[in-house]
Amino acid sequence: MELLAALLNMALLASAVRLTVPILLTALGAVYSERGGVVNIGLEGIMIMGTFFGASVTHLVATALPVPGAEAGATHAIAPVAGMLAAMAAGVLFSLVHAVVAVTFRVNQIISGVVLNMLAVGLARFLNILFFGVATQSPGISGFEPWSVPVLRDVPALAPIATGISPVIPSALVLLGLGHWVLLRTVFGLRLRAVGEHPLAADTLGINVAAMRYAGVLISGALAGLAGGYLSIEQGRGYLEGMTQGRGFIALAAMIFGNWWPLGALGASALFGYFDALSLRVVHTRIPYQFITVLPHIATIFVLAGFMRRAVPPAADGIPYTKEEA
Amino acid sequence: MSTRVRLGVLQAAAPLLAIAFGAVVASGIILAIGKDPLEVYGLMLRFNLTRSDSVAAIFLKATPLTFAGLAVALSFRANLWNIGVEGQYAVGAFAAALVAFGVRGLPAPIHLPLAVLAGVAGGAAWALLPIALKLRRGAHEVITSIMMNYIAAALVLFLLADVFRDPTQAGTPRVRTPLFEDSARIPLLRPVLQLVGIGVPDHSALNWFLPLGVVLCLGAAYVLARTRFGYEVRAVALNPDAAETAGIRIARTQFYMFLASGAVAGLVGLSDVLGFFGYFDIDFPKGLGFLGISVALLARNDPIGVVPAALLLAFLDRGAQGVQVFSGVPREVITILQAVIILAIVVGYELVTRYVRAQRKREAESAVSGPSDVSVERGG
Repeated sequence: MELLAALLNMALLASAVRLTVPILLTALGAVYSERGGVVNIGLEGIMIMGTFFGASVTHLVATALPVPGAEAGATHAIAPVAGMLAAMAAGVLFSLVHAVVAVTFRVNQIISGVVLNMLAVGLARFLNILFFGVATQSPGISGFEPWSVPVLRDVPALAPIATGISPVIPSALVLLGLGHWVLLRTVFGLRLRAVGEHPLAADTLGINVAAMRYAGVLISGALAGLAGGYLSIEQGRGYLEGMTQGRGFIALAAMIFGNWWPLGALGASALFGYFDALSLRVVHTRIPYQFITVLPHIATIFVLAGFMRRAVPPAADGIPYTKEEA
Repeated sequence: MSTRVRLGVLQAAAPLLAIAFGAVVASGIILAIGKDPLEVYGLMLRFNLTRSDSVAAIFLKATPLTFAGLAVALSFRANLWNIGVEGQYAVGAFAAALVAFGVRGLPAPIHLPLAVLAGVAGGAAWALLPIALKLRRGAHEVITSIMMNYIAAALVLFLLADVFRDPTQAGTPRVRTPLFEDSARIPLLRPVLQLVGIGVPDHSALNWFLPLGVVLCLGAAYVLARTRFGYEVRAVALNPDAAETAGIRIARTQFYMFLASGAVAGLVGLSDVLGFFGYFDIDFPKGLGFLGISVALLARNDPIGVVPAALLLAFLDRGAQGVQVFSGVPREVITILQAVIILAIVVGYELVTRYVRAQRKREAESAVSGPSDVSVERGG
């Protein structure tokens, strides 16, 4: 009982929710990219760009726009908004490289993604030196005004989970619902899935395969960038090198675990977020925390190997499409 | 100039063009921070080529990169993606370290090879699961090997910090294994090089793993080009269906190549732990597996090309240090340069390959319909 109570502790669940959000956003992005037939191993690098540009633009806007009449250190509410938008824009621009290399030049998508991850590390360090004079850290920033659920916040037992909510968390849920609807119910979603399943057939129907694939990759860039922005603006209160901690890969795993669908990605991300929160809390117990941190990775291997459920990727996922030139 | 020579020249020029393109991009960045690119490149060349400690450092840095590049190239050659070199070399190096400090009283000629074999076994063991799941259950090796990287990092950290931590370091912030036995240390190259009149700086850790890496690359090239197994590997890579029809067991060929890749990966960290540090600690070099991917791509998966590719990356890396110290250009510019070169190279190779294929196709077609004296090249 004591163990069960510890595992369902409200503070733990609240922390699990917070840790789920970046994984979920990135995994949702990956669903768009892979449903369109492009594997995006570069998500980690895109997230890194998001963390860096999110924090640095928030900082720049906050210093450029001091709040008149307020005490020193108060930040204009526009700063984190600008930061989030910058994080998304950086994600889109960075994923554009992947789209150009993998879709237009038809270079192997895995190579392209791996290089993107390398590039992100170098670029973030370089720009950080340029902006802030040090390689690995930005100045501290403040994020959004946290929000509380009106009635629930007064219930002591629920307080940890009903208070201090970042507006990004409900936004992530909206984006998730939107993703589900777009992919399953709209013409765009149908076309995107068509170029991921059978690009030749889609091409025959007059769908622009390259354009759809670009769209999938760029949406994944926007979402992974947003996830990065959330990490640095809302959680880290600043950029710190390595703060993504491989979450781009975990998100990829969550997407696979969720069988390449938004709702599946939600379930898997929640599971991974929970493990993540748990691993932060067992430091003081007798279980070495390394064992908890690797659980999501082990689970992913199991899923991929079909020991839990068959993993069914889109048929043309990862295969460059070559239009037959007559 | 015959078509064949022209295409050959084109293929050889691709890496040079990519390096030039990378240099142009890096020049833009260097200009943007208010420095003169030509001056920076000149400084880099002088720093790298006129100092004996730089030359030694380049060869030392190229040593693990050679193994990492060869490991990745071997898997690529069999149409497999070993993104797990990172985890395989961590496990391999830890296994070697275990033998190096855990086994005592052996003479060096037995102890060192034993430690090296432990590294090989560790790397291969870590490659076993991804390839087994790929061949048996269709689990894509890219994701499983990335996951294995994280599991390896956690496992090694656990073994290092909680199980084998040097008891004499308890209470200090140093998290490392006990010191290795001298009999498990890799001998340095300096004494031999001095005999033949090549001076190596006193503090250089250049060791016998460098020639070992070169020999391994040559051996791999020989096996791939001249043996029956190498022929099977090439057949599987070129056309799996045809290979299968010809009675080649694809799964078996891929299995052995992936294990060989993991085994070589197990050697990546040994030059550092057994050759330099003499213990395994928490600051053990990371990221060499991913650099190995760059090396393999630069080398176009040719084992012989791995050595110059590793040297090129090591050259850039060392140059970055000099540039940072003497001209204030952050060394990250060189990291960006490396990534841009790799991107340019893969795009360049792709375009060249496509062009060559189209040319050959055209030739073959004109040979069928046109004059009969046009020689038909074998398609690639």
